[in-house]
Amino acid sequence: MANEDNNTLESDRTGNDAVGRRTFLGAASAGALTTTLAGCMGGVGSGGGGDDVFKIGHLGPTELQMGRGAERSAELAVAELKDNGGVQGQDVELLSEDTGGSPSEAERVTQNLVGSDNVDLLVGTFVSEVTQGIIDYVAERDVPFIITGSADPATITENHGQDYEQYKNIVRTGPINSDLQAEGMAGYASHLNDLHGFENFSILADDAAWTGSFRDILPDLIEEDSDLSVVHEDRMALDTDNFNPFLDDAADADADVVMRFIAHGGAATFTSTWAQNEYPFALEGISVPGMSPEFWGATNGTCLYETTSQSGAGGVSELTDKTMPFVEAYEEEFTGDGQDPPSKPMYMGFNSYDGILFYAKAAEEAGTTDYNSDLDAIVDAMLNTEFTGAAGEISLYGEDSDYPNDLKESRNEDGIISNFPVTQWHEDGDGGVVECVYPEQDATAEHVVPEWI
Amino acid sequence: MISAVYALIAIGFTMIFGVGGVLNLAHGALIMIGAFTYLAATSAAIPPFAGFLLAVVVTAAASYALYAGLVKYIEDNIVITFLATVVVALLLTELVIIQFGSAPSQLLPVISGTIYLEAVGTRIRYVQLLAFVVSWIAIGALWYYVTKTDEGRSILATSMSTRGAELTGVDLQKVKSRTWLIAGAFAGIAGVFIGTLQSTSPQMWLSPLALAFIIVVIGGIGSIKGSVIAAYLIGYLETASVEILGPSFQGVLSLVVLVAILLLKPNGLFGRELVHE
Amino acid sequence: MSSATDRLSTATGRIDQSLQPLADVYNRLFGDYFGEMNGLQFVLIFGTAAALLTAPFWGNFGLVRAMTVAAIWAIFAMSWDIQSGYTGYISFGHSVLSGAAGYTTAMLIHNVNPELSMMITIPVSIFAALVVGLLVALPSLRLTGPYFSLITFVAVLIFYRLIPSFSQYTGGETGIQSVEVFTYAPVARYYYMVVPMLLIAVVLTLIARSNIGLILMSIRENEAAVNAAGINATKFKIFSFALSSIPMGIGGVLLVHFSGGVDPTTFIVVDRSIEMIAIAVLGGMSSILGPLGGAFFLIVLRDYILTDIANLGSSIRWTVFWALVLLVLVFARDGVFRKLWHGLDRIGGDRR
Repeated sequence: MANEDNNTLESDRTGNDAVGRRTFLGAASAGALTTTLAGCMGGVGSGGGGDDVFKIGHLGPTELQMGRGAERSAELAVAELKDNGGVQGQDVELLSEDTGGSPSEAERVTQNLVGSDNVDLLVGTFVSEVTQGIIDYVAERDVPFIITGSADPATITENHGQDYEQYKNIVRTGPINSDLQAEGMAGYASHLNDLHGFENFSILADDAAWTGSFRDILPDLIEEDSDLSVVHEDRMALDTDNFNPFLDDAADADADVVMRFIAHGGAATFTSTWAQNEYPFALEGISVPGMSPEFWGATNGTCLYETTSQSGAGGVSELTDKTMPFVEAYEEEFTGDGQDPPSKPMYMGFNSYDGILFYAKAAEEAGTTDYNSDLDAIVDAMLNTEFTGAAGEISLYGEDSDYPNDLKESRNEDGIISNFPVTQWHEDGDGGVVECVYPEQDATAEHVVPEWI
Repeated sequence: MISAVYALIAIGFTMIFGVGGVLNLAHGALIMIGAFTYLAATSAAIPPFAGFLLAVVVTAAASYALYAGLVKYIEDNIVITFLATVVVALLLTELVIIQFGSAPSQLLPVISGTIYLEAVGTRIRYVQLLAFVVSWIAIGALWYYVTKTDEGRSILATSMSTRGAELTGVDLQKVKSRTWLIAGAFAGIAGVFIGTLQSTSPQMWLSPLALAFIIVVIGGIGSIKGSVIAAYLIGYLETASVEILGPSFQGVLSLVVLVAILLLKPNGLFGRELVHE
Repeated sequence: MSSATDRLSTATGRIDQSLQPLADVYNRLFGDYFGEMNGLQFVLIFGTAAALLTAPFWGNFGLVRAMTVAAIWAIFAMSWDIQSGYTGYISFGHSVLSGAAGYTTAMLIHNVNPELSMMITIPVSIFAALVVGLLVALPSLRLTGPYFSLITFVAVLIFYRLIPSFSQYTGGETGIQSVEVFTYAPVARYYYMVVPMLLIAVVLTLIARSNIGLILMSIRENEAAVNAAGINATKFKIFSFALSSIPMGIGGVLLVHFSGGVDPTTFIVVDRSIEMIAIAVLGGMSSILGPLGGAFFLIVLRDYILTDIANLGSSIRWTVFWALVLLVLVFARDGVFRKLWHGLDRIGGDRR
């Protein structure tokens, strides 16, 4: 014990001493030199290309399935780019960082990627809070940033809407922002009414940035269809673990459908509370944990009949001619024994994959990836690029629209938003299977109502 | 209903404090161990009931290991002890993430099914009833044990006065070990039910721990009776705040009551003066 | 063992002797205020100070960034130390104080006027931390021992729960991200954090070494005796909380202008309080400079060595981090830097 102490003490001492003496000498002159040295010190320089490797920094909560799926999908995109000769003749390298879903951690890794690794492109960010936490820094540094996870419209309207010039290097290629998602969701509500005669809707939303549109504009959008009414609304604190009161309230209000917008860990509890108590309404909306291909196991099958909206439709429906090749490539590489979940890319995977390939195409058109000197050319090229991705068609809104640099929605002939599909868990022998139930052109099965209703 | 489970948690927490003066902030982590043991057991196709027993045993063992392997050596310094135990909790969180991932999972209920109470307008799952019954059996058994058996009485005696108990020939080490085992078993029971009724995730230790804190402070540190009563008070307050203020205000009311009680009766409803020995 | 130390100290003693004149100059000038030290200790303190001030010249991007963060945490840990470390009233609620400052800045900008200058927001925010500090201290300091710790813990829970309840002002779980940062330039940013930190370290050391510090420590050792000596212990406990709130406020303001926003996870949650405590304990409680060292040690370890160099995933990183803290708690409960300091005293030349 005492011996150990002495050892640590000695090594600490010598360590500190060495640094101490060296820097002590330097310190005297340092003050005078501060200004002159500022340009050429250590590794703390300013970023920017300068090498012949095209580096992509991917940001996501890679401890979560969503982030892991996205990271792997980015790897597939990079492999594809390499096979096709790189980007603008440069070799391609992927640097993936875990944001831990926290703004402060994201800030740290982003500054490392941009300031130290000199990435040429940033892709990712799942949590809206994370996106907003790093956006000012990224705007400052001009490095192109493609948002592929978070859908909060304020990210665009509060930044690009106010000062386009400052934020022009930041675009979103998926999913459509949640204002548009809300509109898509209202279309889906009418569809449910056509199908099953559901009239009363309840909206339960996480108390978080990304649900803002569903709390604020979705009720009015639903009630635009005169057959429908919103009979109950509430928001749930993120640490809620007892959902009985919320579901009781919805049942008391005679809701036929509860649309819940939930991204945190309680989603599985929410689902099993609903299913085991056989609450008399259908469970629709968006459940981020519910998008996991492994959700059936995580909920012991209680997720049967619940739906969630997700871009990419869980990889079960052929949205474009690129969908299935991508999903198959993913499954070949990452699904099977000993592989961690998710066994499908999940929505952020689709978007990260598409985002990287989209940028590569835009860069070819711009003829450059040097954002330090040719940012305008790159941004123009991105705004003019039309690209068919695995999750759908990608083209961006221009500077003068409501959502500059944001993904355009696609609409079918009735004007209904069609690139925000809905999937439902169906029974498949002893297990469960994800089916796409909306919109009709992509559906693989018809929406079913829980048997207890 | 779930108040009985809260009471179990609080009793374990308060007993450990009573006999050793240790604030075991890893108590929530023990609950987590219970839930994850059950999860691991049931996903390995062990029947739920056996899995439940296994979870209780493993948690009790973990609790004892925590005492014998760590707390025993540092319990003389209360600050170090509660820092060390909270660090243990945080460490376990990370280990659980590494082993099970950070996404929450749902436990297979020990029994499934549900009944609808027309009069109250809510639904109750059988597993909720089971949680209630099992918790009360456990509390009853403990009550019998500490008041009617010599072994148990020595625990009670120690928590009243360590020195007095020692003078009357109580083996302090044994008493402490037993207490940690009991507290661990209770945490294991609570873990399975909390994990089933709420969520089983690497963060699940914090809110039961906070609840145990609140209950124990209101009931008085070291008092078993106080814990049960306070647990029901808190349970009632939670329901009441949902009724009065709406579901998003769960928990705020109980915190307010807590502060009020602390200010009026700093030792809790049934607490005793904290003696420096 | 002891002969090894002897041999070591004959060698180091010589080094110490040669440094002694420098230390003596210092001791004559400042020894009364900060305590005397021997040559090696002198080099440790001023070498470290010099190393800190010149970090951007020898560190790389990741290291300097980690040190920037560490400077903020050093402020938190030192502030915690002057209150909890010295009086023995262990607060689990210090994240509320920095949170109060951070949130005040962000809420002023978000709800009142986005153009508000830092000249206004900074003092107001620090004042807010002080007010919240007193709000927490006044009722809770009536309690002793674990009850005090529990109620400060509850204070964190209450603030944490209130944030979503008033989300139109606080931004709920998202927080508010519209705060201006000082600068993104890594070097200038470093000095924005490290200079206030050094000033706070000097001021707090000065206070801790004065009679006030002595009284605070006496409260920890024997509160009844302090009261019996005719000193109002409660007054000093509240004073120490207030004293701690001000640098907490400064740290909170620095943090909000470092990250450009507030959210409950970065500012309020009890994990943050526990981190402050862990840093302070690891460095050595009731020594002010110990927590400073602890902050640089732990944060650089966590944000630089384990990430940029060892390249570990986040959960393994935290596992190592907490395991290390646990080891220090059990085996070096007086703190790593206190051991180092006394070690230097031992192996330094015999001067007394």
